[in-house]
Amino acid sequence: MTTVLAPVEGAAVGLDAVPDPVFSAGMVGPGTAIDPLRGPGKAVAPIAGKIMKLHPHAYVIVGDDGKGVLVHLGIDTVQLKGEGFQLLAAEGDRVSAGQPVVAWDPAVIEAGGRSPVCPVVALDALPAEVTGVTEGTVHVGDELFRWE
Amino acid sequence: MGERKVTVAAEVGLHARPAATFVQRAKLAPMDISVQKPHGGGPVNGKSILAIMALDVRQGETVVISAEGEGSEEVLDELAKIASTP
Repeated sequence: MTTVLAPVEGAAVGLDAVPDPVFSAGMVGPGTAIDPLRGPGKAVAPIAGKIMKLHPHAYVIVGDDGKGVLVHLGIDTVQLKGEGFQLLAAEGDRVSAGQPVVAWDPAVIEAGGRSPVCPVVALDALPAEVTGVTEGTVHVGDELFRWE
Repeated sequence: MGERKVTVAAEVGLHARPAATFVQRAKLAPMDISVQKPHGGGPVNGKSILAIMALDVRQGETVVISAEGEGSEEVLDELAKIASTP
């Protein structure tokens, strides 16, 4: 069982609330999404493991058991080509759960006309494997959901 | 074993939406689907979004998609189309 932590502070709103069908329809996998607190912050690793993929706007951490969790910082943020994001770790790094990975400001993303909502997805998981999904206010490092 | 060699056209490569679309279609197929880069990388399971993301296919790179069994030609055609869609 993997406990997935909130990578950002805000309100857990569920994948349904994500304005992108790739996430809201569960195409990437089950999980939830956080509507982040506006203002400068640091997005952290939701699980311990290796940073398999690190883009400024998204990252995947793979645990020792092979489970991969995707954190996507805002929607359509790939278009920003890294502007407004600062990497605090490198691809291939081993990170502990809760370790900062990317610094960003959701308010800036929103001011640019994009949704800053952050999907947190259990890649390749079956919907039934994701349980205990938190709703409402979450702080960085709070338990967000469990991956059985 | 059927194969399709395709050049990935999406700006983001085989990540995000293209990867999710690809894997969603691959999962519907009854047979195994494998994806590899001709010059190293893979083969990986085409039904795993994690594996496809890890393969890290960029725009303009070529991948070989493989499958065998009844209906595989049709599946390969559809997957090749997804992978080559800008």
